Amino acid sequence: MESRLLRVNLTTGELKSEAIPHQLFERWIGGSGINNWLMWEHFLTHDINCDPRGPDNIFVFGVGPLAGTGAGSGIKGRITFKSPCYGIFGDSAGGGKFPYMVRFSGYEYIAITGRAPKPVYLHICNEEAMLLDASHLWGKDTAETHALLQKEHGTWPSKTHTLTISQAGENQVGIAGVVSDALRIHARCGGGAVMGSKNLKAIAVQGNGGLPVARPKDMLSWSDDFRKKLDSNEAVYGFKRRGTLGAVEMYQHIGSHFWRNNQGNMFRGDEIRSDNWVKKYQKYSEVCSSDCFIACDSKYKIDGTESETAKKYIGETFRRPEYLTTGSAAGALDLRDWSEVAHWGKITNDYGIDNQDLSCSISFLMELKQRDLISDRDVAELFGHEQELRWGNMEDVEACVESVVFQKNTFGQLFRDGPYFGALKYSEIKGQNFMKYAMYGKGGASFTEEMRPFPTWMNNMAVASRGADHLKGIGLIEKFQRKDLSKKYFNGRTEAADLSTPLLKGACTALVENQVALLNSYGVCLFHWMLDPGGYTPQDYYGKAFAAITGIDRTPEELMRDGERICNLEKAINSRIGLRREHDTVCERWMWEPTEEGMYPGKVAADMFNTVLDEYYEWRGWEKDSGLQTRAKLTELGLDDVAEVLAQDRALA
Amino acid sequence: MITVHTQFHSHFREVAATARDSFELDEPLVSELAQRITDKYGAKMKALLIDPDTNELNERGTMFVDTKGRRISIEDTLNDGETITFLVGIAGG
Ligand code: SF4
Repeated sequence: MESRLLRVNLTTGELKSEAIPHQLFERWIGGSGINNWLMWEHFLTHDINCDPRGPDNIFVFGVGPLAGTGAGSGIKGRITFKSPCYGIFGDSAGGGKFPYMVRFSGYEYIAITGRAPKPVYLHICNEEAMLLDASHLWGKDTAETHALLQKEHGTWPSKTHTLTISQAGENQVGIAGVVSDALRIHARCGGGAVMGSKNLKAIAVQGNGGLPVARPKDMLSWSDDFRKKLDSNEAVYGFKRRGTLGAVEMYQHIGSHFWRNNQGNMFRGDEIRSDNWVKKYQKYSEVCSSDCFIACDSKYKIDGTESETAKKYIGETFRRPEYLTTGSAAGALDLRDWSEVAHWGKITNDYGIDNQDLSCSISFLMELKQRDLISDRDVAELFGHEQELRWGNMEDVEACVESVVFQKNTFGQLFRDGPYFGALKYSEIKGQNFMKYAMYGKGGASFTEEMRPFPTWMNNMAVASRGADHLKGIGLIEKFQRKDLSKKYFNGRTEAADLSTPLLKGACTALVENQVALLNSYGVCLFHWMLDPGGYTPQDYYGKAFAAITGIDRTPEELMRDGERICNLEKAINSRIGLRREHDTVCERWMWEPTEEGMYPGKVAADMFNTVLDEYYEWRGWEKDSGLQTRAKLTELGLDDVAEVLAQDRALA
Repeated sequence: MITVHTQFHSHFREVAATARDSFELDEPLVSELAQRITDKYGAKMKALLIDPDTNELNERGTMFVDTKGRRISIEDTLNDGETITFLVGIAGG
């Protein structure tokens, strides 16, 4: 399999195309596995403790071997870098058409280092790559930048697809993301600030090449089977119509939302339900990329008849909000009309900024105001003028958003890296401890879902390599109480699906992290798997597609080992940066303040936190006291070279 | 004979075209409830509620809970007056 990597040194302007050795796929599968390795290698010759906003950071884009092959499993591109907001390993996935177009151009990976002397963008057309002046794009948002690049580069030899940053990325706002085709954001960890710090405004790509498939017949028969299986499940049609919004009712029923900075866990009002969205806004479903047998995406256009509030947004069109867009808007900020939730989704996408960290920065401040912990005068000092901070008020929310994106004032500057660092700095300025109201997990990353009744999810918030996050080790077995899956993966034991015990919760995180690492390395969308995590197993079911495409035959056990190896490299990067057990933690409210509502009241993380964390380290084969990897585990995974580096850095148990 | 109430949300509500229903069951079994629901609401509901490979409740992308928030399975028994809520089970985004 011939796969190519484009290396770009922005300082010198040098661009180099390299073949990726087949052994790299044998060891790292592809996608996020290879991205991680490129990052690891880079930091063997550059200081891993460098300023993430400096030229020594690396920005990798990669797309996995299944992407764009017709497998039907969706496509996600991945960006990987040292996070400027959390200071740790950072990565983020995104859909759209950009990822497969990178493959059609002849590349699968792009590794960008250095810093351009002036704003540039990278244009790739069928393996021809060049850096072009971006001064006319600087200062534009992601939608404008995408439109200009599409116009400039036209439709030959293919349409132009883009990865862009907005003014937030240019201003090196730590929580700025990178947007694929102006529609799909790689939101987490601050990739936009890394691009901005490198003076890289965008990547535009065109291509009409083919893709290598080692065993096309096997591939087609896998794909045929996959489609039939998806088609036989009516729940997939439900997901097509609602996407992740279908979760709103379930979260409301069990009390899993994040209301007003997680002072509660249920939405208020009757409007924010997926049924209302479908009635008012749903016209049709479509795919976000190509090569997806589900098609959960859709567009809306507001005509003003939907509600009084909607009249403010007549003519606005964008894509249907996802659950976390809704969780941050209707939950964290208490916006109660769908048009406002949709508008929040659009502005955070156009400004290319993470709605989790941004909403929790705003809700932190709103809660301080609600509790009279700060005065009108304090707020005026933060904003440079009088500013109201009302829950559920879109004007107030937009004032906060613009403060951060454009770094307009003290609030924007304090909270450029999200609520944790913002709260720390603000507490210091005021000489008061406000940390109780900052919502975050590992790295200071925030997340707008109720976590306290769900020990696996809570564990995810504490251990995810890229900072608090649900996707790395997503606790489907626990939240959906899938006893069948618990039995399948844990020798007939059911505790992983039982919310009342800490048992098997850390084990479940470790297991699912390995599985998700595989899926992310194949480069597929996670939703297909989530709709049948027992059937579409990454190691068995997807493993067959991986073999058909790459010609690499692996047993399910070997693939699970591959997933574990990928997770261990992410861990090793963080250990080199200095992370230890004490960094695997969550905020005060989650740890100590009981939930007061929902189906599982009275829960705090502290009930099970350390037991679950201990079990996680045990299942990982890491040392419990320090949280560090052991040489024995790394040797078992074929990572002696990694162990050597960790030993030199005193980051091995 | 017992009475069991049902609440339908998201796609379940769309397929059933109602938010609530009640069923009188001869046997206090989830299997009988599932049968009665699919009899009443037809093929689409059956495709949503029953896994054709196992003939058990469809676990893929769904969530069915009792009033205490516990997921129910096909072999479970039901109490008189119990409410079972049918939800979509998806996360992420
Ligand atoms: S399931 Fe949805 S998010 Fe995933 S690839 Fe398909 S359209 Fe995109």
